[in-house]
Amino acid sequence: MQARIERFIRDYVKKSGAKGIVLGLSGGIDSCTVAALSALAIGGKKVLGLQLPEKETRNVMDIKHSTLVAGKFGFKTETIDITPALQAFYKSPSTFDSSDKVCKGNVKARMRMIYIYYHANKLSMLVCGSSDKSETMMGYFTKWGDVAADISPLMDLYKTQVRKLARHVGIPKEIVAKPSTPALWRGQLAEKELGIEYERLDLILYGLEHFMKTEEISKQLHLDKALVGGVKRRWLSAEHKRRMLLTAKIEYRTVGTDFRLPRDPF
Amino acid sequence: MIMKRGFKVALAQIECKRADKTENLRRIEQTAVKARKQGAELIVFPELSLTGYVVRDEIYELAEPIPGPATETVEKIAQKTKTYIVFGMPELSRKAQATIHNTAVLVGPKGLVGKYQKMYLPTHSTFEEKRYFRPGYQAATFDTRLGKIGLIICYDIFFPEVSRLTRLEGAQLIVCISASPATRRMYFETLTVARAIENTAFLAYVNLAGIEDGLQFWGGSRLIGPNGRILAKARYDEEDVVMGTIDYADIRAVETFVPTLRDLRPELFDKLKENAEKL
Repeated sequence: MQARIERFIRDYVKKSGAKGIVLGLSGGIDSCTVAALSALAIGGKKVLGLQLPEKETRNVMDIKHSTLVAGKFGFKTETIDITPALQAFYKSPSTFDSSDKVCKGNVKARMRMIYIYYHANKLSMLVCGSSDKSETMMGYFTKWGDVAADISPLMDLYKTQVRKLARHVGIPKEIVAKPSTPALWRGQLAEKELGIEYERLDLILYGLEHFMKTEEISKQLHLDKALVGGVKRRWLSAEHKRRMLLTAKIEYRTVGTDFRLPRDPF
Repeated sequence: MIMKRGFKVALAQIECKRADKTENLRRIEQTAVKARKQGAELIVFPELSLTGYVVRDEIYELAEPIPGPATETVEKIAQKTKTYIVFGMPELSRKAQATIHNTAVLVGPKGLVGKYQKMYLPTHSTFEEKRYFRPGYQAATFDTRLGKIGLIICYDIFFPEVSRLTRLEGAQLIVCISASPATRRMYFETLTVARAIENTAFLAYVNLAGIEDGLQFWGGSRLIGPNGRILAKARYDEEDVVMGTIDYADIRAVETFVPTLRDLRPELFDKLKENAEKL
């Protein structure tokens, strides 16, 4: 699996003619793993991890973890405090509501996207995303925010698989073991927000992936049908976040629908 | 002592540059010349090796009739190298303007020998072949200086009747060209052996290498003997060209050891048809 992912990264970077990879480095398991794999695939000198802390969620441990992984796998990092940019934004819209943590949190994710894409653009690099399959299926991400990337090498692996891969690749234990958080506000925890721990969520999603019916999944996993049904509804309702935007079908061939073209550079 | 009549086959597991026929024909030529120098008389390239596998809507621009410019180029390569060559291409019907087949072409030193239009078009999982291709309706076996060669393509191998038909038409060598992604490797590693054993025939399986649109083709091309033994095997995932030797005299011993052709029961085929229609 590691070899396949590295080949995928290497092949895509080569075909696209990009000079390297830039990625957002939060210090969490997903971004650390994807950064390590990128460095193994194309060499650390061509990988730039951007640490983009802001004052409300700044976590010394996360920065320490990022630096640790960067040292171990030999890729470059740069730290930019995005607080001033965020504060400038907060002041701007008359409707800005500081107490609405979801809206505000999404601004942070999208602000990071701007920083990452600026670097990619300026340095002729590709943006490598670190979304995993569990959060992608659940729609547990910010549209055009953390998910925005040119390639997403871990997107076909559930969180529990990413944990195994991370251990295999040599990501330090303390990073693999710490609870996942999008860090959009202080104390935010993925499993708490999703209402289920990844070990169970991934089994439900695996069942859905394999065309199993809700009832069958709940029976086999001894889980409440309502819980499984809830996961399924959430998965279905988030498709708009995962696909090219929908338009009204009017003409002969339509972007995102029946223009069927290869996606990778060739 | 009886001289063994053997010949060398090259399993030319190449990576294709998608939608670039000129470049792929160049790769085919380069590989053929090299394989010939190593003694190959038959050189087999993967499914849709003229264009690459994942070209999607571009297929309408890339498809060509047979004979056509692409087959003529490969004929010249075969003539020049004095070899037989099998390769894959999208074939445009001469009777329509956008009706396309997924076709395997066999050319020899004297020109075009024949073609086979894929019968089983995978349209599930990541595959969308029925969207683009019209299926073929007949098996294809050709009499050549290198014996009787039957052609099948990739997913056809899941349906034993296709290989069986070529065997009953006399094929001693079944050539299966393929574009199989890594998630399917185990199936092909099993089925290639099975088709060889059940037909007591040689089977040359040639898969694509490289990555197209996230699909990683697993390579692993192989020549299998009539007893199921792997006689030559290419590397997984990467481009590779390996040689294998075919001696049809080997079939005799296998046919006496496990006589599957002798034991065929034609009356079961009627029942098969009857039940398949009612599935």
